[in-house]
Amino acid sequence: MLAVVVVPFLGAALTPLVYRVLGERTAYYAAAVAAVCLGLVANLGLSGAHGTVSVPWIPEYGVSLAFYVDGLALLIATLASGVGVLVFTYSGGYMHGEPGQRKYYATLLAFMGSMLGVALAADLIALFVFWELTSVSSFLLIGHYQDADASQYAARKSMLITVAGGLFMLVGFILLHDVSGTALGEATFRLAGDGSMIASAGAMVDALRAEGLFVPVLLLVGLGAATKSAQVPFHIWLPNAMEAPTPVSAFLHSATMVKAGVYLVGRFRPLLFRDPEWVLVFATLGLVTMTVAAVLAVGASDIKELLAYSTASHLGLIVAGFGLSGYVGAETGAFHILNHALFKAALFLVAGIVAHEAGTRAISELGGLGEDLPITAAVTVVAALGMAGLPPFNGFYSKELLFEGTWYVAKDAAAGGSPLWWLLPVVAVFGSVFTFLYSIRFLMLFFGEKPAELGEVHSPPLAMTLPAVVLGALALVVGLGGVTATVGVHLEPLEQFVASVANSAAVAGTEHEAISYHLPTEVTPYVLMSAVTIAVGAVTYPFFDRVRDGVRTLRSVDPLRPNWYYDGATETLDRSSVIDVVQTGELRTYAAALALATAGLALGAYAAAGVAVPELAFAGLELALVVVLLVAAVSAVAVLVAPSHIAGVLTLSILGFMVAIFYILASAPDLALTQLVIETLVLVIFLLVLDRLPAFYGGPSRLRAGRDAIVAGAVGLTVTVTVLLSTAGTPDDVIAQYFVEHGGVPAEHPDFFLDAGGGGNIVNVILVDFRAFDTLGEISVVAMAALSVITLIAMRDRGETQ
Amino acid sequence: MDREPTVIARTVTRLVVPMILVTAIALLLQGHNLPGGGFIAGVLTVVAVALVYIIFGLDYLQTELFDRNGVTVPYEPETGIVKEFGNVFALGLAVAAGSGIVAMAFDLPFLTQGILFVEPLPIYGYLEVASALAFDLGVYAVVVGALLTITAVVGEE
Repeated sequence: MLAVVVVPFLGAALTPLVYRVLGERTAYYAAAVAAVCLGLVANLGLSGAHGTVSVPWIPEYGVSLAFYVDGLALLIATLASGVGVLVFTYSGGYMHGEPGQRKYYATLLAFMGSMLGVALAADLIALFVFWELTSVSSFLLIGHYQDADASQYAARKSMLITVAGGLFMLVGFILLHDVSGTALGEATFRLAGDGSMIASAGAMVDALRAEGLFVPVLLLVGLGAATKSAQVPFHIWLPNAMEAPTPVSAFLHSATMVKAGVYLVGRFRPLLFRDPEWVLVFATLGLVTMTVAAVLAVGASDIKELLAYSTASHLGLIVAGFGLSGYVGAETGAFHILNHALFKAALFLVAGIVAHEAGTRAISELGGLGEDLPITAAVTVVAALGMAGLPPFNGFYSKELLFEGTWYVAKDAAAGGSPLWWLLPVVAVFGSVFTFLYSIRFLMLFFGEKPAELGEVHSPPLAMTLPAVVLGALALVVGLGGVTATVGVHLEPLEQFVASVANSAAVAGTEHEAISYHLPTEVTPYVLMSAVTIAVGAVTYPFFDRVRDGVRTLRSVDPLRPNWYYDGATETLDRSSVIDVVQTGELRTYAAALALATAGLALGAYAAAGVAVPELAFAGLELALVVVLLVAAVSAVAVLVAPSHIAGVLTLSILGFMVAIFYILASAPDLALTQLVIETLVLVIFLLVLDRLPAFYGGPSRLRAGRDAIVAGAVGLTVTVTVLLSTAGTPDDVIAQYFVEHGGVPAEHPDFFLDAGGGGNIVNVILVDFRAFDTLGEISVVAMAALSVITLIAMRDRGETQ
Repeated sequence: MDREPTVIARTVTRLVVPMILVTAIALLLQGHNLPGGGFIAGVLTVVAVALVYIIFGLDYLQTELFDRNGVTVPYEPETGIVKEFGNVFALGLAVAAGSGIVAMAFDLPFLTQGILFVEPLPIYGYLEVASALAFDLGVYAVVVGALLTITAVVGEE
């Protein structure tokens, strides 16, 4: 199970090497890595392995890298790796000739690993870390075209929103951890599996309620899910995220990463589901998002923008499904995650093909593409009608489940005297009408007249059509499964799989063996709801342009746009004076901050530990030493008043040479030798650099001089205290004794021996023998420094493309 | 370097650089029993090369000492002399780490060092061979390669 998560990260680490060999064909290497993951996930699923694998991570805090497999985890993991295979293959065609492919594939693979981690994590902290890793990789991928302003804006926005949400979620997790102490007897971060929070959900909820933390935790976790899954009003990052290359949009921003939010809702459903709080929070959130995003999708002018809003809308549907009570709620969410991933990823790939081959993504400029792209058109028919919720395509069945769920929730609540709940089915139908409208609009890109100015549309390469066809075919199979089920032939593996997913999100005690979906055979209220949706949609479609203009007018009202608040807030922060003080862009500010912080931390630690600064003892100081030190001190002062850089550096080296002499007097010849040589080299390098600098220091202002004096004083004080403290300590000389005894050549020895250093110079024996590992580390650092100099200075003019 | 170095400087450099290099090698070899060692020897070697660099320029280093004619951009990391420097410290790291791994092959802990006395030998009487010398050679190569890289790249700036 661990391998599933490790393989993609390993693959990502190896990508730069592979890229050297394979070049653009790295896409197929990445697809192979994804295929391996898919195989591992499938193996997990087929072997029926359920349960937990745990590796200790920070045992002191009870944090472990624990992974847990159940239906929901398998579904998300299958999506991440399965869609991964297709998207990597598709990238092979789409990214042809694009810059930064090495980074692209490495990040995409790392993303896939993090997503698999999110799906399988059973430990809250591990879940959080993988969760944020997906945010980070999403940031990198949205900002793939680094130089474009729109990409930078989009990447920052998605990062700010999703990471902020993740932090709220972390607070929720920590509260859960605290409460689990009282509920389970021992505080744990374990979410699923034996002895976990979900295993004793009742006790957890009781403890949470007793502390008054139930609603806060619900909201905090909900906030994490809502930001990740682009729920209103946090949906604003998703349309901007379309700046990413289309395969990324298909993978991250429709099939997988945005599913992390709904996954979280489904995962926490067995733990936190309580009527009415849960229903109120998530059903409302989901339905509002579903409707608002569907309306916005109608107003879209770009096919990817349309799909982005549509994604938010369908995520709303899933959240609403998980928000509903009863088994049907879990079923809705589970089934629609699968259906949505199939048709939406297919549509994104179609959008990529259209943009790639027709050269534009503007809806108004496209039409009649079916002639030139017949295969793509066929895929679109299946996927778009599924998105519209038309029978017998796959989206119909899960939407029907949502209608069923809202209907019963409303009916129950109305029977209990709260007729307001009837809003749920009404809103669901209202939102679905808009879903129908934009789905048909997308479909119509392929039919009707081809605009004259569109020009020639090429056929896409096989690497791009094949993944779309595979997804479309899968969507078709799911849809046809419903048709055959009507006449009694069930698609059993699928039904069992969906049931196992639904069971992971189901409240304990309501699990089912398998679920059955089929075309309606009798007239029920929810069949009528579907009929109304389709009828109203069909009647309204001829007036699509007018509806769209209406939406656009509504959208242009500032206070109704969450973007208006977001931009306002970020701009205000940008303009505030805090940034000018902290980020001056001057090296001296950062150096001063670094030096002061180090000094403050060290001195603070000494004060906190309450160590006493030892007495200074001057007795027994040799005259020679005093003279050398005096010269050093004088030269230090002379550096300050030196009239030019050259003079300053030369005086500084006097100080260095005095220190070398000091070492000789203190009988440390090795140190002295090193000091001398280094001093010479530094002097040489200084002189090299100085040639390029102006000859004189400018006269510093009094204020700046004072500030620098304080920094210098603080650093000096810290060093002095540190030296005094560290030299005053007299540990047992066991180590020194050991070195002295074992450093030399033993009096009696064989020709070959291992147990002693065999050298007269104890310093060097320590360096190369006793503490050779330390030395290895140090030379690695030296090599690293040289490497950074090469990359920072000599290679700085080279971009990613070579 | 706008000014032409004086004849004295050039002559002295020619004389002194070989001496520095020999001293460096001596320091490297005697490090086990007397003051010295890979690190100091490495830095000293760099000082020698830096001296040539200052007096004669990097181009001279590249064409005369390392015999790489026709390469015009010395600090270009893929073709110039810096690539050679890079190879040196990479090799050094490999030697140092490799000398540790050899110990593992004999089922000893990583970086275990052994001493071998070879005797009798003419003139020397006996020779003490420390396996630590291999490690020290690695240290030496890393220091030389890395510092030369830094000097060359920064100097060219």
